[in-house]
Amino acid sequence: MPTPLPLKADFVSLIEANKGIIFKICNAYCRNEIDREDLAQEITFQLWRSWSSFNGSYKLSTWMYRIALNVAISFFRKERRTHPTVLMGDHLIEMSDENLEEGLEENLHALQQFINELKPLDRALMILYLEEKPHKEMAEIMGMSTTNVATKIGRIKEQLKQKFNQQD
Amino acid sequence: MENIAILDLWKQYDQKIEKSISLNRKLLTELQQQKAKNVLNPTKNIKFFAVAMGLLYIVLLAFLVVNAWEFNNIFFIVSLSTSIVITSIAIAYYIHQIRLINQIDNSESILQIQQKLSSLQASTLKVAGILLLQLPFYSTWYITFDWIKQSPDLFYFVHVPMVLLFAWAGVWLFRNINIKNMDKKWFKFLFQGSEWKAILRSGQFLKEIENFEQA
Repeated sequence: MPTPLPLKADFVSLIEANKGIIFKICNAYCRNEIDREDLAQEITFQLWRSWSSFNGSYKLSTWMYRIALNVAISFFRKERRTHPTVLMGDHLIEMSDENLEEGLEENLHALQQFINELKPLDRALMILYLEEKPHKEMAEIMGMSTTNVATKIGRIKEQLKQKFNQQD
Repeated sequence: MENIAILDLWKQYDQKIEKSISLNRKLLTELQQQKAKNVLNPTKNIKFFAVAMGLLYIVLLAFLVVNAWEFNNIFFIVSLSTSIVITSIAIAYYIHQIRLINQIDNSESILQIQQKLSSLQASTLKVAGILLLQLPFYSTWYITFDWIKQSPDLFYFVHVPMVLLFAWAGVWLFRNINIKNMDKKWFKFLFQGSEWKAILRSGQFLKEIENFEQA
């Protein structure tokens, strides 16, 4: 039976628990800080807009990934560059360590670069793979068969392997 | 690098992110209170501007028709009235497409939503097709019975074929302006301006979705 969950407090907990995912999706689809902030706000706003209509007919994470990735892909495609509309200067997801990227090892930079070079749909699939979502859930999020997901993931992994081999 | 090592790498990144980021609750509350963020969206404002300009054009044509009534010039009245009808249909279609785009529910699957969105964006091309149906009427509004009587040869052998040619071109373009023809030369020539970029990108993305599904 569908479960209603339209509470403001529940929503804040959802965003709190998943801020890392939003951050990673924004990083994967935007190259500059202003765009990342705009996308983070847009994803959160769209999640909030759909929150009252979430009926529990599928997993909460499926619902969240669908919205976040759909918004990110649409944002990426628009090539529109607006500025965040709420509280300029503030960030929805704040970083205490401004040099987050600097301390990361070379391989992670190469992985991020690889993700950024993928086409938007492959990029969505790659994020889901890295987040270790089961194929069935990936298929539900993407709207394709599990077989198709497995084939695509296999190909992307192969490309990734080649990329790292070239680096070595 | 092996798959497991890649997943471990991502986990490391995840852990580092979790330690370094925090949610700005004040900003989140602001977002929750904001009911219509998209009202401030410049893309939307451009669409409203386009509709407003279209409506202004209709008002201008209607004004001319009303004022021309007493002169009883049937060609002028019919040409402009037809333009009013066609432009109104184009505006209504455009508003309908924008409404459908805005009603899209992002919680549906990615391929379904992206395909729907791109198809809707690409179908706004149809507006251009509808507007081009007016083409023959741009060469009929100035015809008068006196002119036909005075220069019948010019009218029947030059003007009528020209109007027919425009009519044929208008109908042909109406039927063929479709994102599926985006790779054809005539299409590229017609839609080379920057204002068409977004629609052409939608067409390209539709192809990308199609290729993605055919894995």
